[in-house]
Amino acid sequence: MKYVVRIGAEDYEVDLDGELVHVDGGDVAARVMPIAGTPVRMVTLGDAVHRVVVRPGASRGLYTFWLDGYRFEAEALDERTRAIRELSGAGAGPTGPAPLVAPMPGLIVRVHVQIGDQVQPGQGLVVMEAMKMENELRIQAAGRVRNVLVASGSVVEKGALLIELE
Amino acid sequence: MFRKVLIANRGEIALRIIRACRELGVASIAVYSDADARAPHVREADEAVNIGAPPSAESYLRGERIIEAARRLGAEAIHPGYGFLSEREWFARAVRDAGLVFIGPPAEAIAAMGSKTAARTLAVAANVPVVPGTTEPLNDAAEARAVADRFGYPVLLKAAAGGGGKGMRLVRDASEMESSLDAARRESKNAFGDDAVYVEKYIVGPRHVEIQVLGDNYGTMLSLNERECSVQRRHQKMIEEAPSVAVTPEIRRAMGETAVRAASAAGYVNAGTCEFLLDRDGKFYFLEMNTRLQVEHPVTELVTGIDLVQWQMRIASGERLPFKQEDIVPRGWAIECRITSEDPANGFLPSTGTISYVHVPAGPGVRWDSGIEIGSEVGLYYDPMLAKLIVHAPTREAAVERMHRALLELTIEGVDTSRDFQLRVMEDADFRSGAIEIQWLERRLDSLTHAKPPAEVTRKAAIVAALIADRDRLAPARPTSPSSGAPTQDAWTRVARLENLR
Repeated sequence: MKYVVRIGAEDYEVDLDGELVHVDGGDVAARVMPIAGTPVRMVTLGDAVHRVVVRPGASRGLYTFWLDGYRFEAEALDERTRAIRELSGAGAGPTGPAPLVAPMPGLIVRVHVQIGDQVQPGQGLVVMEAMKMENELRIQAAGRVRNVLVASGSVVEKGALLIELE
Repeated sequence: MFRKVLIANRGEIALRIIRACRELGVASIAVYSDADARAPHVREADEAVNIGAPPSAESYLRGERIIEAARRLGAEAIHPGYGFLSEREWFARAVRDAGLVFIGPPAEAIAAMGSKTAARTLAVAANVPVVPGTTEPLNDAAEARAVADRFGYPVLLKAAAGGGGKGMRLVRDASEMESSLDAARRESKNAFGDDAVYVEKYIVGPRHVEIQVLGDNYGTMLSLNERECSVQRRHQKMIEEAPSVAVTPEIRRAMGETAVRAASAAGYVNAGTCEFLLDRDGKFYFLEMNTRLQVEHPVTELVTGIDLVQWQMRIASGERLPFKQEDIVPRGWAIECRITSEDPANGFLPSTGTISYVHVPAGPGVRWDSGIEIGSEVGLYYDPMLAKLIVHAPTREAAVERMHRALLELTIEGVDTSRDFQLRVMEDADFRSGAIEIQWLERRLDSLTHAKPPAEVTRKAAIVAALIADRDRLAPARPTSPSSGAPTQDAWTRVARLENLR
């Protein structure tokens, strides 16, 4: 079965055939062995062994995992699932630019923007205090501020919606 | 030696002190907030007392409750650890007034060194070199600008009661002064309940090097040599080592003598640390004295072979130091990484959750001082430091390789941790050559936290992701609804397949 794996902005094709992976220059035996009661999986590629730590993501095929000391965020879908998803338009993302949400519970110290402001990716919109340190929260998307849901002094929970864009 | 000691702290440092107690045959009493009722430090102690609600102000900072508990359970001494009450003069005094021993310096020495402005005045009087700055708290921005004009920009605003980078601001020119002073005061007020701020000249490109001192009640004050703590983010230390590549035997002797002079001038007893800035020409400036055990004390323990926590207790119980300055000879190299619950890939935002898995590195020269285990809740009530990973090896090069190896072994799941960042530091050419100073990390933070893996590792990662997804498809751990499009498998095929894979 063919998989398409997205890591960052790159797509990688992986051709699995039972316990074989087709790679440039031939087939390699590949196995995944979960280690019971742990997030660790032992992955063998040919004779090479890897200890991989896996954190399942929010939806099918999404994983965060650690390999050789690096962290990867990957989406691995077999060709058929991917085709269905593309046809149905699912997974095409939300309708607007992603909002700013609280990455942790804490206290809002300052809000730098108001409704109607134009914002750029990487711009700090809100200053939040947690663990006695002030952290500036930056927006990933560009857009115009549609709604400001917090003010200085607000106490918010992890995941709370702070700023909506349009 | 004492028969029973109360430990007024939590987490890894409480465990560190309990270990010292046990090795010395001393019974230990833990204190805990409601959030820590099942914490490792509570279970490992001989007795334990609940001292209140999770916020520190309602538990670990409630000195009177802690002293009351110590008296009720018959403790003879209180070890404050670091943070919390460790540098509060009133607490050291209250412990003494209650007829107990405070394992640390006398209250008078905390007072002399506790406020940075007081420490500077004392240092200047003891002929200890300091960075040019004010000794009085600032009144307003206009006064701050006048002082800054005299020293020349950039200048640093610092909270008089501060520590750990809180209430500290760099001011590059006069236009930034007003907003920076407001921010420094606000942070200081929130963190320490005191908004006194002073200003000093900013030395460009210095290292943070500190001297561990240890003194007894009979006039002996020794330097246990330096620690290099230049790898800092927002003035918070992330990685420490001993010795320092920048410290020659001459600088070591001069800094050590200076630290001993400063400590003696304050009437200091027990373990303490004098922090210095070391500039590129080998000139050093006294910053402040930390009148307590430091987080990074293990690197000194490993290179000197002196158990600082045990000696703190021995000194407090009246023992004499049996070694002389010439007996203190550094052996090998030690490095410490502070493993924090912060996500380096996401601007070091605090990460909270329940620890679901811990695999601790082991093997030659590896030490793990930790306050967490599987099931530990990591919340926002306390410091984000989960544990300290410390290594010791004959040379710096070997210590860096050993730390890299140990970090690769380390696995913590349930929260994001600083581990990946520290791996990148160990791989970094600047760090490996020792070319670090206190601005180094801020300058390199982006390149270190967003380092791209080698192409062949990413290619391998793609294969690994496909294999994991394929296995999850065959053995769905997470329930998938029939409409999700997952192909239904013949049960026999699946069983045969799973058997094979095992």
